[in-house]
Amino acid sequence: MSSAVREIDNTLDVPGQRAALITGGHDLGSLTDVACAPWEAPRPPRAWYIAFGLSLALLAVLGAMIGYLVLNGVGVWGLNNPTGWAFDITNFVFWVGIGHAGTLISAILFLFRQKWRTSINRFAEAMTIFAVVCAGVFPGIHVGRIWLAYWLAPLPNQMAMWPNFRSPLLWDVFAVGTYATVSMLFWYVGMIPDLATFRDRARSKWKQVVYGLLALGWTGSSRHWHRFERAYLILAALATPLVLSVHSVVSFDFAVSQLPGWHTTIFPPYFVAGAIFGGFAMVLTLAIPARELFGLKNIITPRHLDNMCKITLLTGSIVGYAYLLEFFTAWYSGNPYESFVFKARALGPYAWAYWTMIGCNVVAPQLFWFKAFRTRVWLILLVVMCVNIGMWFERFVIIVTSLSQDFLPSSWDYFRPTWVDLLTLAGSFGLFFTLFLLFCRYLPMVAMAEVKTVLPLTDPRAHPHPHVPATRAFDYNPDEFDPAATSNPRDAREERP
Amino acid sequence: MNHAPDMSKDVRPIATGRAAFCAAVVGALGLAAGVLFGLRDGWDVFFRSYLLNYTYVLSLALGALFFVMLQHLVRAGWSVSLRRLAELVAGTLPLLAVLFLPLLVPLLAGMPGVWEWASAEAVAHDASGLLRHKQPYLNVPFFIVRCVVCFAVWVGLARYFVRRSVAQDATGDVQLTVRMQWWSAPGMLLYGLTVTFFAIDALMSLNPHWYSTIFGVYFFSGSLVGFFALLALLVYFVQRAGRLTHAVTVEHYHDVGKLAFGFVVFWAYIAFSQYLLIWYANLPEETVWYQPRQGDAWWTGVSLLLLLGHFVAPFAALLSRWPKRRKGTLACAGAWLLFMHWLDLYYLVIPRAHGHGHEPAAPLHLTDVALLAGLAGVCVAAILRAMARQALLPERDPRLNEALSFENI
Repeated sequence: MSSAVREIDNTLDVPGQRAALITGGHDLGSLTDVACAPWEAPRPPRAWYIAFGLSLALLAVLGAMIGYLVLNGVGVWGLNNPTGWAFDITNFVFWVGIGHAGTLISAILFLFRQKWRTSINRFAEAMTIFAVVCAGVFPGIHVGRIWLAYWLAPLPNQMAMWPNFRSPLLWDVFAVGTYATVSMLFWYVGMIPDLATFRDRARSKWKQVVYGLLALGWTGSSRHWHRFERAYLILAALATPLVLSVHSVVSFDFAVSQLPGWHTTIFPPYFVAGAIFGGFAMVLTLAIPARELFGLKNIITPRHLDNMCKITLLTGSIVGYAYLLEFFTAWYSGNPYESFVFKARALGPYAWAYWTMIGCNVVAPQLFWFKAFRTRVWLILLVVMCVNIGMWFERFVIIVTSLSQDFLPSSWDYFRPTWVDLLTLAGSFGLFFTLFLLFCRYLPMVAMAEVKTVLPLTDPRAHPHPHVPATRAFDYNPDEFDPAATSNPRDAREERP
Repeated sequence: MNHAPDMSKDVRPIATGRAAFCAAVVGALGLAAGVLFGLRDGWDVFFRSYLLNYTYVLSLALGALFFVMLQHLVRAGWSVSLRRLAELVAGTLPLLAVLFLPLLVPLLAGMPGVWEWASAEAVAHDASGLLRHKQPYLNVPFFIVRCVVCFAVWVGLARYFVRRSVAQDATGDVQLTVRMQWWSAPGMLLYGLTVTFFAIDALMSLNPHWYSTIFGVYFFSGSLVGFFALLALLVYFVQRAGRLTHAVTVEHYHDVGKLAFGFVVFWAYIAFSQYLLIWYANLPEETVWYQPRQGDAWWTGVSLLLLLGHFVAPFAALLSRWPKRRKGTLACAGAWLLFMHWLDLYYLVIPRAHGHGHEPAAPLHLTDVALLAGLAGVCVAAILRAMARQALLPERDPRLNEALSFENI
């Protein structure tokens, strides 16, 4: 890959010194220029047009498939008697899972003070929302009588449209609905200062009006910043449990049943880990081309990629752990149906899908143990593509293998997707990428205001400020240490007798 | 400030000789009393109680080992001033490996121990045939092999990390940090697998008919709640003894409180996941585990106390900023959570399914108290002895500066 921006390797870590998160010697102004460049350029790069054209074509395919489905009914899918749920729910779970990385990065990593998140959080959050939009399509269209899809919405209950409050499908509506709402709010609130930057830099009248409305009158006053940071922290705290709850509820869709292969207690945390795994793979899939195309290599540095690869390795290993325990317990339980299903997964008619899943989800990410694989973009792309494929197959394996061979051998049947199934799946990527490409062009892709806080320039340690005593503990040496300099004034205030 | 406190005092070992001696005496008396109660009430009660209290102290040390490795894995800066305390707790793992041996005595002597599957008679008379099915896994030699592997991993990891860290106090060698960082990742992998299978072997197999894939995670989550509770208490007492008074500030308390809070919620999430899925499917082979835990007033009470005391109350208490930043308040919460973690293990170990030829055992024995005092006393003595020997702060850790100047925003 080539780019005008020189890449600086900042993955090396010397304990005691933190590597620079933003390279290229940016100051506040040049950073704003770089971050605004994709938006300010009169035209996006040619690759953007090509990608956008392809995405629009795929989106059209999605529209056509949905139209065909509505006109003909769900019979156009490959569903058969035991397998009444296949691509529709697989795609739903796949896309909801993708939507987990954004909120993990923006909320959980924020609470954990992971400063490197600032470079990637904005577009990871955007990706989350678009993935949830894609996910939302499938429950809507899988109901068959699509004109009644509004029954999924939380309408008053006196119409007796929700006969069963114990149904996890109902919980799904609330869980995903809450998640989409909070993610959207979080994304938007975080974007306000950057939207104000766009407003201030806009040249045309209509841009000034549109971005001015979106910026909600942001002036950057201390009071604004104070309230903004409060709101952001509270939203982060509210969004954190949602990262866990959404995919836990999605896992309940399967795990509350008594179907072997679905009913197992590790499902909730295992699904959450899998979602984060798949989500990070997608973030990497998008981040690598984006940083090349839009000249963001100094903002999304090798260190960011390295960190994301490590999280992918971690969550991939957790997923592998869950596979192992499921297999072990299938035998250990002594339940013949349970052990049958797991044997059938590995050796039965869907063995090809199962081993694809194992290869992509468990084996491939193990390559990230090696630094060579975490620092070369083509190798990273290779691995995360495997993960993208593997995580789709994981849901397919769970859903279809358990359904197609259940308790009664007389009702077994092999599920084959039709061309409509396959094209609907492909089309959902069109929706996702169309939204994402529009976002790259029209909204602040980098959280400029947040990135500025991690610049070496804004670190009081690097440039002693007149108000910060130079003798703070930063030059600690155990032999000649003056503790008076470190004592925190808050201690005296907050420590009560 | 006219009197600058002496930082060197902060890191100096504590003269804990007398306290360690007292703890050792309490430990010895507790163990002796436990044995005497065992002679009176039967070895069945003794070993079950020993398993309960042993897994309690073990889980705290395992939580400490996890914390130490985690700090290296994520290259944490803020926690350096707390890491030595965790290392001291993890340093009891070799002792705990020795203390595990009594549990093997009944297995080797062919006595009816706590694990039903270890008795050939029980396997032969098991009407369900499940014990026979599980014999390739649940048998004495393989069990011992697995235990040896688990303890080898834990003792190996604990010694590796504690020794390197202490060695750095003398040399200040940055390479030690680099190497610990490197080993922390595979260490975590080994840790996850060994803790899971140990939980299955030692605790889940107490009811060998029952299974739950989440069980290892459940044990892990509770261990971490216990460890952070212990850490809050430990740092509080160390500061009372005049050490770490500058290296550890309210900011560190705040973060320990956040982590305790986080793991309280995580534990509740795991416990709820297991409960909901088993309740919902309502399969007899799974509900059999909850049946003795909700079958009578005592165990229903314990279950509800866990719900309220292990989740609702600490959730409410630790949610705000101020309780985490008041040292005494956080230490009180720590003491409460330590008790709750014991209750959680009590809930895991003691109840047993009816109708397996057991007498309806009394829910609480004096043995439980005696062995808790015994095992905790011995471990506390070991920690105190180690405190007297080494600095309480990794004083030449390259990231110590960050810990000293760390502030929550």
